[in-house]
Amino acid sequence: MEHLSNKHTRPLSPNIQIYRPQLTSVLSIVNRITGVFLSACAVVLVVWLIAAASGREAYSRFHDCIASWPGQFFLLASTFAFFLHLCGGIRHLVWDTVRGFELRQIYISGWIVVATSVVLTLACWLASLLIARQV
Amino acid sequence: MVGYRFRSPLGLAMSLGSAKSGFGHWWTERVTAVALIPLGVWFAASLIAHSGSNYEAFIGWMGSPITAVLMILLLITLFWHIALGLQVAIEDYVHSGTKIWLLLITHFLCFALAVGGIVATLRIAIGVWTAT
Amino acid sequence: MAKANTFIITSSDQVSRRTILKRFPIPRNFGVPNGSQIEPGRTWTAPEGATRTKQFEVYRYNPVSGENPHLDLFEVDLDDCGPMVLDALIWIKNKVDPTLTFRRSCREGVCGSCAMNMDGTNWLACTRFIEETDSPTRIYPLANMRIIKDLVPDLTHLYAQYELIEPWLQTKTSDPDRERLQAPEDRKKLDGYYECILCFCCTSGCPSHWWNGDRFLGPAVLLQAWRWLADSRDEATGRRLDTLEDPFRLYRCHTILNCTRTCPKGLNPGKAIAEIKKRIADRRS
Repeated sequence: MEHLSNKHTRPLSPNIQIYRPQLTSVLSIVNRITGVFLSACAVVLVVWLIAAASGREAYSRFHDCIASWPGQFFLLASTFAFFLHLCGGIRHLVWDTVRGFELRQIYISGWIVVATSVVLTLACWLASLLIARQV
Repeated sequence: MVGYRFRSPLGLAMSLGSAKSGFGHWWTERVTAVALIPLGVWFAASLIAHSGSNYEAFIGWMGSPITAVLMILLLITLFWHIALGLQVAIEDYVHSGTKIWLLLITHFLCFALAVGGIVATLRIAIGVWTAT
Repeated sequence: MAKANTFIITSSDQVSRRTILKRFPIPRNFGVPNGSQIEPGRTWTAPEGATRTKQFEVYRYNPVSGENPHLDLFEVDLDDCGPMVLDALIWIKNKVDPTLTFRRSCREGVCGSCAMNMDGTNWLACTRFIEETDSPTRIYPLANMRIIKDLVPDLTHLYAQYELIEPWLQTKTSDPDRERLQAPEDRKKLDGYYECILCFCCTSGCPSHWWNGDRFLGPAVLLQAWRWLADSRDEATGRRLDTLEDPFRLYRCHTILNCTRTCPKGLNPGKAIAEIKKRIADRRS
């Protein structure tokens, strides 16, 4: 019965493969995914600044990329990711002051983060479209 | 620490002992997060305000000293926050020898991108200042 | 009995049966180490004459057979069985397969022995009503544990992590002749923390502990650590904080809060960890 005493042959019970997604874990992974995605957006920000510093031609080439359908989709995704990460981050900052830890508060603040992010994303794009039309 | 054939459970749990640090990383992540709230909102609002505007309008906006200062602050804080955040994600999921290389590359890239962005911002701003 | 399902969960005994996803959309054996992949098992039909039956899908592992874990499907005669999931397991063991192995003792949510994963969340089998479970009820051992047999996880490492935080009163002042004084309001500060029964539902449900359980202490142990930090009679606070302040031991907690969501005693490990982090910040400025 050698293997009975050897822990490393014991199987590992499943974790993420079976654990039910809950608002707690889903919003946590969303905060991480948006964080990584926004890091990629930060690279685009630097490319944009460098293009602008390089002159009109480079800038307009960058502008054309963003104006294309994939570019606009990327911009929409990054707006939503920005607000999810911003609101989720504020929720985390509140937790860091040891407030809002009752389950009811955790769930209410979680849904507020989701709803606020959707509303702010739509508001931003609406405002952007209205301003662009006036120019 | 894996690597020993026999180790008591308590020995395994205690492993290398406490680093007696970790607060600094946690705190700086929060400080940069707090700073990024106004800076991020300012940046998003500025982008929306410039929807549909042309190259000249954009360069003119970047040429204002306030914009340049805020943009440089944004770049420093943003990439600091990114470096700290990605470090945690890498430490969470990567346990092989590639971890240290990923951490090095991430931190180098963040630093380089921040400096690149700052130099680009300064070049635009100085260009506008010297032209006027 | 749990309250009605809503979007807003107000206490951890509410089951989440209406969630959009019952599990994360990744392959069932994704990233599972060799020997841990789960294989299909056999079906045990209900005894003849049973009119009201329910299916239970149960994780089985036999260390002697040398085979991988597998999922057995049991049909349970509900008219012959008590109301709780633990009753169903005992019924299976008595009536169908005596080799089914699980821990149980008090059958009233006090001892913490029968902690397991039911329908994807950790809870005590003795306080989960069968009628609150999905069809079939899916029963696994506590998530992310080395399995000794069937539903019995090896908790050695978790107990060692518990020992690491030295869960006993420590003083430098010499022992008093009578009991140590503690004001009623100071005693109240331990409420919500001393009641932990060490079932490890929270630690087993914590993704951070899944990925770094060898170094991260996990919610159960950190809640216990806070129970001693919060004790007005303890004099080792500084040393306790030194032991905890570590990028992995404490700061691997990313406030995911699966712990608070799942605690079968309604405790709040997430809040306890936030208290520890705040205490470490307090002594810096």
